[in-house]
Amino acid sequence: MIAKWIGKRVIMGTIVLIVVSFLSFFILHAAPGDPAAAYYGGNLQTLTTAEKERIAQAFGLDKPVLAQYAIWLREAITGNLGYSAKEGRAVSTILLEKLPNTLQLVGITLMILAIISTWFGLLAGMKEGSLLDRGLSIFSIASSAVPSFWLGILLMMIFSVQLGWFPSSGMSDVRGGGGIADRLHHIFLPVAVLVLSHVGIFARFLQDCVKSESKSYYVQVARANGVAEQEIRKNILRNAFIPYVNYVGVTIPSFFGGSIVVESLFGWSGLGQLLVKSVMVKDFPLLMGGVLIIGVVVVVSLFIIDVLMVVINPKLRRGVLRC
Amino acid sequence: MLSIDGLSVSLNGRQLINNVTFTVPKGRITSIIGESGSGKSMTVSAILGLLPVHAQTSGAISLNDKNLVEMSPKDKVELRKMHFFTVFQDAANSFSPSTKMKHQLFIFTGHKQGHSKMEFYQKMRVILQDLDLTDDIMERYPFELSGGMLQRCMLACALYTEPTLLIADEPTSALDMLIQKDFIDLLKKLNDEKGTTILLITHDLDIAASVAHAVVVMKKGEVVETGQVSDVFDKPQHPYTKLLLENHF
Ligand SMILES: Nc1ncnc2c1ncn2[C@@H]1O[C@H](COP(=O)(O)OP(=O)(O)OP(=O)(O)O)[C@@H](O)[C@H]1O
Ligand SMILES: [Mg+2]
Repeated sequence: MIAKWIGKRVIMGTIVLIVVSFLSFFILHAAPGDPAAAYYGGNLQTLTTAEKERIAQAFGLDKPVLAQYAIWLREAITGNLGYSAKEGRAVSTILLEKLPNTLQLVGITLMILAIISTWFGLLAGMKEGSLLDRGLSIFSIASSAVPSFWLGILLMMIFSVQLGWFPSSGMSDVRGGGGIADRLHHIFLPVAVLVLSHVGIFARFLQDCVKSESKSYYVQVARANGVAEQEIRKNILRNAFIPYVNYVGVTIPSFFGGSIVVESLFGWSGLGQLLVKSVMVKDFPLLMGGVLIIGVVVVVSLFIIDVLMVVINPKLRRGVLRC
Repeated sequence: MLSIDGLSVSLNGRQLINNVTFTVPKGRITSIIGESGSGKSMTVSAILGLLPVHAQTSGAISLNDKNLVEMSPKDKVELRKMHFFTVFQDAANSFSPSTKMKHQLFIFTGHKQGHSKMEFYQKMRVILQDLDLTDDIMERYPFELSGGMLQRCMLACALYTEPTLLIADEPTSALDMLIQKDFIDLLKKLNDEKGTTILLITHDLDIAASVAHAVVVMKKGEVVETGQVSDVFDKPQHPYTKLLLENHF
């Protein structure tokens, strides 16, 4: 039963990864420029056509795109994501080095976001028409209208340039000693940007869930029968959380998109920054590896959300245990 | 016991209930009949003290000589909690979807009366059996039970709390024909055996004719006729009642 449920998700996840990598591969190939350029080193101008062809042949770049993809996929399955000529290291080594940094950024953001938005969303949702209720609605619209790079630059100007409270770039300080405190000091602004640009919409969503749940039939029936308000509220919250968690799950992929901007802006050495750099230098294997690993992270986090959904929604829970 | 005297309710300048007067005698089943939109549910809301905040009310609703219209909101809550029990039309949506029935049955009954969970289980188990419901519904979620079962769960709560007045607002309209009769029989049995006073709102004349002692006929927010079931059904006075009966039989 449970095995079947998990199995279905593993298969779906695998299909998603194959489709994503397939599309990326073709789009990258369709983009202008010579994919072998990264291997030429500084000799781009001096190499003859014959020499270029020899290099292309050596890396299989003369084969049809589909065949190249098949080779890439076959190797990727065995864990070999290729070699980055620019970095001079195996792609998988580079990715494993950057992955924890991105997970740290997104993880801390999600945690803070969950706490703040739940708190505000519940409070605002339960006090309809209150100052908090209306204030949150306005804040949510305003915050979703501000692009995160603009917000990032603004915060950087105020808190690092003007006030000098937080560093504007990097993950650690030579003088900071690289400890946890130093890390937190550096992660503050990037996290603040990601949190601020999402918290309004998240809280607003929960607020709406709570509001519409408060109007539902069973609430009216319970109230008509003098059921204790605090018991009614418990039920409202429990039911409002179901669509909310689902919504958070759906937006997770966009966090990794958002982290690309923020990482580049604040020099946070994660996957996002890596992807931007490898696009600039057309580091093909590194780019494919980066896309794949972000895909894996997204698929895994969606799986975790799926499990969470089953835990909080008895309808799904019964379904999983029965099927 | 419950008497409604010259009750009028208007909302946003619209008169929804106009000078309604009738009584619900103790130990009897009184039925309000009337077409959709005639103000039956609005009357129930007025009795429960649950009209929209901006509604304007005049007249009196008295339960054992206490005027409910002038009560404080707190007293109204107490009344709904301890003296009334109301069963609504849509049983399938009357319970929270993601909470087990045992918790929900508890907050509708034992919790209100300060009983422990143990006391609740013991008493509720017997009541459920009387209503042909097995123990294991306690561990179920509402979506795992049928509309008829859920409506009987509501009735179980009424049996548990033994209200001064049981109000049922179209309790069978959402159930299929076969179960409708079973449910109405249960109401009758409750009234016969325990002497529970019942206010039954319905637009089904058969139901009114088969269980009620007295009927109140409503049309467009007004009461057009009241009386004992036999009188009203055999010798209707008001043209509207005649029309209702002609169209029906
Ligand atoms: N919250 C509300 N605000 C404004 N008007 C309302 C509201 N609720 C009901 N009404 C109006 O009050 C009138 C009486 O409605 P009510 O629900 O009491 O009818 P009913 O007799 O119970 O009908 P039904 O058999 O369909 O349940 C209707 O015209 C309806 O449109
Ligand atoms: Mg009604």
